Amino acid sequence: MSANYSKEKLTLVSELIYEIKVKEAMSKKVIFFKENTTFREIQLKLKEKKISGVPILDNVKNIIGIVTIDDIITAFDKGYVDKKITDYMSRDVITIPQNISVVSAIHKLERFRVGRLPVTESSDSKRIVGVITLSDILNRLLIVVQSIAEKVIDKEIKNTQISHDLMKSIAEKPLRFEVKGDDFNNAGRVASITKKYFQNLGVSKDIIRRIAIVCYEAEMNICLHSLGGSMTIQVRDNNAVIYAHDKGPGIPDVELALKPGFTTASEKIRALGFGAGMGLPNIKHYADKLEIKSSLQTGTELKAIINLGVKK
Amino acid sequence: MKLSKIIDKCRLEKIVFCTDCEVENGYCGDLMSDVMAHAEAECIWITIQAHKNSIAVALIKDIKSIVFTNNVMVENEVIKKAEEEKINLLRTNKDSFTVCGEIYCMMEAETAKD
Repeated sequence: MSANYSKEKLTLVSELIYEIKVKEAMSKKVIFFKENTTFREIQLKLKEKKISGVPILDNVKNIIGIVTIDDIITAFDKGYVDKKITDYMSRDVITIPQNISVVSAIHKLERFRVGRLPVTESSDSKRIVGVITLSDILNRLLIVVQSIAEKVIDKEIKNTQISHDLMKSIAEKPLRFEVKGDDFNNAGRVASITKKYFQNLGVSKDIIRRIAIVCYEAEMNICLHSLGGSMTIQVRDNNAVIYAHDKGPGIPDVELALKPGFTTASEKIRALGFGAGMGLPNIKHYADKLEIKSSLQTGTELKAIINLGVKK
Repeated sequence: MKLSKIIDKCRLEKIVFCTDCEVENGYCGDLMSDVMAHAEAECIWITIQAHKNSIAVALIKDIKSIVFTNNVMVENEVIKKAEEEKINLLRTNKDSFTVCGEIYCMMEAETAKD
């Protein structure tokens, strides 16, 4: 990680810890005890709840002291663990008011080396409304960072819609390919180049994947089933338009050819893993719009449209 | 899971080994259109189709590793193309079912660990 990177990250976090208030991050459920408790009772509670200390409150929830694991260890050591805490607990309690930013809480936690801070209603009140720990602060930070990240992602999705000017300049420069019949050595070339072309435009991965599948299948159809033809890939009005045209012999029944599994491929072609009757169905599935015109005299024209901005 | 771990455990023969990539899922299929439609990017592809078009499909689908099963012959021009395009080619005398089973179990065990 470069120094710059961590600095950048810290800028966001340090801004946030000034913005987030203690009351937004604190736990409102406070485990507390009253004065007439023994150290042992508190120790059992700490163990059960896996926490390291509890505030001691009076009847109106004003804080009068705190007992931590350290205090309990001392109590064990000195032999007063079964005695009431009144005479032994620390009454000098560090608290934090709820309307202050969490950065002050972090400073206090660090300066006094404590794991938790009881939160008071205000700076001149002793009434406890919550407890705050570093992990409460981290939790809150993560939630805020997450919502910021979501907004950024939304924005990026909008940005993948290519700018108008770029679109115009691309529309004037379509990709054109000759595709030979029965030429297995170059098969996949159209899809490969088209994929790179759209990657350079910054189109989203999911859409490129669909464009690549449509191009590949159209290319393979010309290669496997026709006397040869050509393909043109063009960007128009936020759409990728894929034209495939072949010289024949044409599809007698287009409806039937669109059925999954229907194939006219030879045994030789099928042994290579082609001609499974999935080409046209794949195109239909991954394109937003598909038009096929076929005649036994002039061959087949295929036009597939994939929208570049909206996810399918 | 690292590809090298799969190669090691399944005793695959390395025909082309260019990058020890992370493998998180796999696909098994011998029909190009099926693989085009369903294989995920960066997956390991198990197939008996060892010809140049397999490399083209892998390239378009961002598949980084192919395992040829049943000890199929791999032509020199296929190897050359894979080297150019930085696609790992592996081979085994086991059939597709067996290799898939082995790799699947390894991946399951890996996820269980997490």
